[in-house]
Amino acid sequence: MEKFRDLDSDRKQLKILLSRSFFIFTIIFLIYLIFSYQIVKLMVLDNINYVSQSDENRTITVPIYPARGLIYDSQENIITENVVSHDLVFSGSNLDELETDLIEIEELIGNSASLWSLEWFTDKEQSINFKEAILYKGLDQTQIAKFQLEKSRWSSVKIKPSLKRLVLDENLYSHVIGYLGPVSREEVISSYDFKYPLNYFSGKKGLEKEYESILRGGLGYKSVEIDAYGNEIKEISRKPPQRPENLYLSINKRLQLIARKELDGRKGAVIGIEPSTGLVKVLVSSPDFNPNLFNGTSTSGEITKILKDKDSPLFNRVISGNYPPASTLKPFIGLLALENGIIDWDYVIDDKGVFQIEGEGRRYRGWKEGGHGEVDLKKAIAVSSDVFFYQLATNLTIDKLSDFLEKFGFGLVSGIDLDNESRANLPTRNWKLGTLGEAWFVGDTVNLGIGQGFITITPMQLALATSIIANKGYAYKPRLVERINELHTTKEILYEVEIQDKSNWNKLEDAMEAVTNSWYGTAYNLSLTGEIKIVGKTGTAQIKSLTEEDLSVREEYEGIRESVSDRDHALFVGYGPIKNPKLVMVVIVENGESGSTVAAPIAQKIIDEYLKEDL
Amino acid sequence: MSRRPLDYQLNSALNRSKTKIITDPILITSVFVILVFGLICLYSASGQDVSMVTKQGIYIALGIFLMLLISLIKERYYRPFLINLFWIGLLLLIWVLFFPAQGYNTDRWIDLGFFGFQPSELVRLTLPLAVAYHLTRRDRKPDMLDWATVLFFILLSTFLVFKQPDLGTSIIVFMAGFLPVFLAGFPLSIIIAGIFSLGALSPLIWYNLSDYMKGRIFTFIDPNSDPLGAGWNIAQSKTAIGSGGIFGKGYLNGTQSQLDFLPESHSDFIFSVIAEEFGLVGVSLLFLLYAIIIYRIFKISFNANTQFSRVCSASLGFIFLIYLVINVCMVSGIFPVVGVPLPLISQGGTSIVVHLMAFGFVLSLKRVETW
Repeated sequence: MEKFRDLDSDRKQLKILLSRSFFIFTIIFLIYLIFSYQIVKLMVLDNINYVSQSDENRTITVPIYPARGLIYDSQENIITENVVSHDLVFSGSNLDELETDLIEIEELIGNSASLWSLEWFTDKEQSINFKEAILYKGLDQTQIAKFQLEKSRWSSVKIKPSLKRLVLDENLYSHVIGYLGPVSREEVISSYDFKYPLNYFSGKKGLEKEYESILRGGLGYKSVEIDAYGNEIKEISRKPPQRPENLYLSINKRLQLIARKELDGRKGAVIGIEPSTGLVKVLVSSPDFNPNLFNGTSTSGEITKILKDKDSPLFNRVISGNYPPASTLKPFIGLLALENGIIDWDYVIDDKGVFQIEGEGRRYRGWKEGGHGEVDLKKAIAVSSDVFFYQLATNLTIDKLSDFLEKFGFGLVSGIDLDNESRANLPTRNWKLGTLGEAWFVGDTVNLGIGQGFITITPMQLALATSIIANKGYAYKPRLVERINELHTTKEILYEVEIQDKSNWNKLEDAMEAVTNSWYGTAYNLSLTGEIKIVGKTGTAQIKSLTEEDLSVREEYEGIRESVSDRDHALFVGYGPIKNPKLVMVVIVENGESGSTVAAPIAQKIIDEYLKEDL
Repeated sequence: MSRRPLDYQLNSALNRSKTKIITDPILITSVFVILVFGLICLYSASGQDVSMVTKQGIYIALGIFLMLLISLIKERYYRPFLINLFWIGLLLLIWVLFFPAQGYNTDRWIDLGFFGFQPSELVRLTLPLAVAYHLTRRDRKPDMLDWATVLFFILLSTFLVFKQPDLGTSIIVFMAGFLPVFLAGFPLSIIIAGIFSLGALSPLIWYNLSDYMKGRIFTFIDPNSDPLGAGWNIAQSKTAIGSGGIFGKGYLNGTQSQLDFLPESHSDFIFSVIAEEFGLVGVSLLFLLYAIIIYRIFKISFNANTQFSRVCSASLGFIFLIYLVINVCMVSGIFPVVGVPLPLISQGGTSIVVHLMAFGFVLSLKRVETW
């Protein structure tokens, strides 16, 4: 019957099914064996490798950057601090996307912030290394609000707080403090111990640069767990950053304020050093700049304006400016003449206003027409007789002059903790031959006698040389930092000048006292207005030569001086009080015309102020 | 104690078997344990996404309902309709090819409002059932026309899925269709001939593979060739599995999955999450559960009285096993990444519902195992 199943066929089919199932099972079992081997290899044999690989995956070590060390003045007034700045940060890898983002964002928040770090991006090779970069630094409240409203438009751009450097008194300390700038590629590469990120700021000038390694502090680290997108999930461990040390300067804010006010925007330099320590109490170079413009929050236009200013506000005239010392060099030349026995304090010449080398037709004029009459060394310094010193220099010869002046630090760098210190120029025979290809003429020596000609000095050099007179034979190395946290910096002798007759120091001081305190002294005005008796020496550095050739054109000379840049530089060096000097001052006012009426009162005011209280 | 006649004992046993609602409690229990374990793992693998787990739970509930419903129906009631079920599946496959649902990146889906539905999953169930029915509808060996007919529809279905494009499922569909053919006694000579001709045609097949498929195969051959692209998945998966060790990192503590280093951790790569968090011990226990399920299915198959029941349940059992093998070999770096989910555990509603429906058919076939 149909209903009965064909048992024979059925058994045959079952047999086929079973054998073929067995075949498939065999294949699957073989695969399963391979799988078992693989799973045991992964989970047992190679387990350690995979555990470390998964740990590597999920943890990264992130450096923690400390807040930069602070800077205080001598009265512990805060000079620089760190304030929170809101930055617009790009974190992502798609640089093409960034370009369009930037245009849109600039449209949204306006053009007021700088875009300095874009150049990092355009250099693709550099941009590989970094996770994020600041696009705009220091957004203001309006910009933050505008961005927050539309932030969803740019997925890889966000606002992130950071610290920015702020100099509270802006221009007041500009050449002392200097400024910060974005780290250079070289710094990033060579900062093994600190590991600057590419958008970090480091000291670029001034103390910020010189004390960079102290101010930046030491790097801390934290180990964080991240997810696959690099987001921090939690912190695993932390080594806090080393707190940076603060700088306590010897610079006094009140003296800075006076110096800056007195210079009143004129080009010039003011330096005041405590001779007994070498501590710099006041250092002003004018024109100055606002260091805050360099902390990344200002537009590139503002910075370009500073960089292109023909008065070079970034230039530190105190240590880098080269000026003829003019008459301020005379005490040193007088001292050398005494030392060589060419003259003594009783030696007198008749100053008729004109000097002539025997056998030469050329005549050298003194600054006062008709001369000062009979002058000895003391009076020659007090009235600043040019003829007297023409005579001395001629007799001394250039070799002795430059050897002696070098002992006072002329032509040398002091090694103060600021960058770009200049040596200025202390001329020698060889220097002239090597530089100008000319032999040294006696006329060159004559000019040197009144601090003109080839010789140039920096105000810093002049201050140190004057310190030697104030200290009667030595000067300390100038310092701006009095202590780093509680650790005081130490004074060290920089120059020592041995002379045969030590009493000559005091006699020289008497002569310089006569400058300010005798009725015939060039800076007699100071004794009338000043509170403290100081000694000093004026100088008027002639930009236009006063040699014989110009004599005939006196009127024209007056005409030239109408152009400010051709006017003489006013110089004054001095210190006070006379017994136990507290402050050595050098003041130079470019194109200030008169050392006695322009430069000297500034020095007097600062010394007066300094001694008002025991600063 | 009265001794009852033998036929009475036989009849009562038969009646019990026919009337029992749950025909195989061991199979159902194992499935249940895996489903619950799967939901627990999905919670971890999805990054503790409650809504994803809830959605999966709803699918599981639907799947269990369908499984029990099918298991209650006697085989003879639905057997004639299996072909029609296949036609429906085939039509839906053609439908998605021409009217792909919006919002999905491959043309696999039919949008049923609150959930998506993959017809290819349905076909890989109805195809073997229809093939088994067609080949065993007469009490004798299938003839050449039967073989040719079923082979045509197997290849057609495979091609349609392949075109979506879905390499993994097309392989599954082909195997699902061919398994009953093979088990029903397809002549070995033709199979061998077929393998040789396939070897000859392989360059042509390679030419027709889409770039994403080729990429996956390249990556399989050399995983380091693209460590941040396709090779990333497999490298991260191996790291997850390997770092699990013997006892695992603990539930919810798998860093690879919790921190999103492991891509597709909730779907194709969920096995790696299990390995990472529960270790070799957990993986072994999971395999034990799978082994019980497979053992029970083949026990039913080999004890069945009709060729249809045997071929049907064995095919469904093998498909389940193949899913498992391909998935675990894929995530452990033995096979290329072809996109086959871990059965009963990976996120994906259609897959789970279809697996449970398949169990339903197997359970229903048990009702007639004792003749």
